[in-house]
Amino acid sequence: MRTNNRIWNMLSKLGIFVLAFGLITACSQKSENETKTADLVYVNWAEGIAYTNLAKVVLEDKMDYEVEITSAGVGPAYTAVANGDSDAFMETWLPTLHADYVEQYKEDIVDLGTVYEGTQSGLVVPAYVEINKISELNAVRNQFNGEITGIDAGAGIMKTTNEVIEDYNLDYELIQSSGPAMTSALKKAYENQEPIVVTGWKPHWMFGSFDLKFLEQDEDMMKWKTGSIHIMGRKNLEEDKPELAAFLTNMHLTDAELADLMVQINESDMSEEEVAKEWLTNNEDVVADWIPEDEMQAGM
Amino acid sequence: MFDLPVGDAFEFAINWLTDNLSGFFDLVTLVVDSFLVGIENLLLFPHPIIMIVLFSALAWYVSGKGVGIFTVLGLFVIEGMDMWDGTMETLALIITAVVIALLIGIPLGIWASKSKTVEKVVRPILDFMQTMPAFVYLIPAVLFFGLGQVPGVIATLIFAMPPAVRLTNLGIRQVPEEIREAALAFGSDSKQMLMKVELPVALPTILAGVNQTIMLALSMVVIAALIGAGGLGQPVVTGLQQLDIGLGFEGGLAIVILAVFLDRVTQSLGASTG
Repeated sequence: MRTNNRIWNMLSKLGIFVLAFGLITACSQKSENETKTADLVYVNWAEGIAYTNLAKVVLEDKMDYEVEITSAGVGPAYTAVANGDSDAFMETWLPTLHADYVEQYKEDIVDLGTVYEGTQSGLVVPAYVEINKISELNAVRNQFNGEITGIDAGAGIMKTTNEVIEDYNLDYELIQSSGPAMTSALKKAYENQEPIVVTGWKPHWMFGSFDLKFLEQDEDMMKWKTGSIHIMGRKNLEEDKPELAAFLTNMHLTDAELADLMVQINESDMSEEEVAKEWLTNNEDVVADWIPEDEMQAGM
Repeated sequence: MFDLPVGDAFEFAINWLTDNLSGFFDLVTLVVDSFLVGIENLLLFPHPIIMIVLFSALAWYVSGKGVGIFTVLGLFVIEGMDMWDGTMETLALIITAVVIALLIGIPLGIWASKSKTVEKVVRPILDFMQTMPAFVYLIPAVLFFGLGQVPGVIATLIFAMPPAVRLTNLGIRQVPEEIREAALAFGSDSKQMLMKVELPVALPTILAGVNQTIMLALSMVVIAALIGAGGLGQPVVTGLQQLDIGLGFEGGLAIVILAVFLDRVTQSLGASTG
């Protein structure tokens, strides 16, 4: 009995301690509100990880911001930005992949412009597959078992692929899976040199790892256009944090710059943030014109 | 035949709650976040070596030499894989979720053991909490609590609380009638009956519930990473999304090591008091 009393005693003391502890940290957090903060959301995709970490170190080192970066699924990420809880979502692919989300949340988010241009989506096959055009798919239906390996049910590329199947009268079934399942299927087929057709997009590491090609579309039936990656801010970001909005609007990487950063992150043992920091010191000129002018003068 | 707009009604309810209870959710966020950050700082402040010694000593003392040795080795593997910070973040998240789950769950279990009506109301709710796929309440969690660790804690505690309620209820209901009668014969009132007779006798069952709650909380780690909870779920999700088998495996292995440690230690707590 006595030991049990002791346990309860200890538990209640622990409870009081924890409560007090919580209150103290809660109070100390309040005073931090004065500093400039940014709350950026990204998805665990290689290119986004790369430039989001770069944005973090530039904001911290050059503009004295306190930056929090959070990785989340695409749906939760849009929800958080539209809801005003996070400042910006770093990775919106337009005009195709994320068009559904943008349409759904258009009243609660603002487009802060592109961070990367030259994205591509479509049906992707390994280079060893003989055909080159979407319109040739029906002729080799048996090779592919009449299946296109897709990704998540809700993704924009799935919707477009279904439209393509209809427009081109393809006798194919689009299989729902997920990004990881699609890439594993691709990897397995590639290793066995088997034919496979997947829904794919670029930039994506799979183009670095495997020799792949997009199936060409017919000129008069272009469903997928080359596009760009946008940063979406929450409504009112431009009024609340004009500098941050200006910075995110200015932020832009060329294909070569982004590829260089991604490769360095891939090859390094250091954390993404440390690599981004190092990349920053070697590429000051790239980020120089991202920083809003007022900030430059204030910094000097 | 006919359409039941169940989904629309749910969405309406969620939107209404988001619009009208935001003050309450902010308060919950503040309290949970402070608690969580406090624990996280406590776990991350000392050098990993010191923490490894502390954890291993605890495991050794509570569960014996074997578990102690496993803990030393396991934690060194975690540190060696560069997963230390993630592991401590996850541990802080689990501790927070489990503490809140127990603060709600154990009293609820006691209440349910005293009242048939409460038990009848609570049981289907617990069934619902346990069987509703966790992905379904990720978006409401984000709407209410934003992204990050707080919605992760909330989602985790909803998923992990039921065994604490169930086993507390069960444990107290299984206290032998003779013991109760003896206590009554010695003139104990209902408070004494609960604190000095029923809870001590039921303690091993309750602790089994605590153990289950911890293990369920651990199984939410990866799902919580989808709403920005970070920790060990993040390398697993990254590994999945980029087909980085090595990274995914390291994250998964760290979760397993943490799970075995927590399981053995909490199980032994139950056994030693039994």
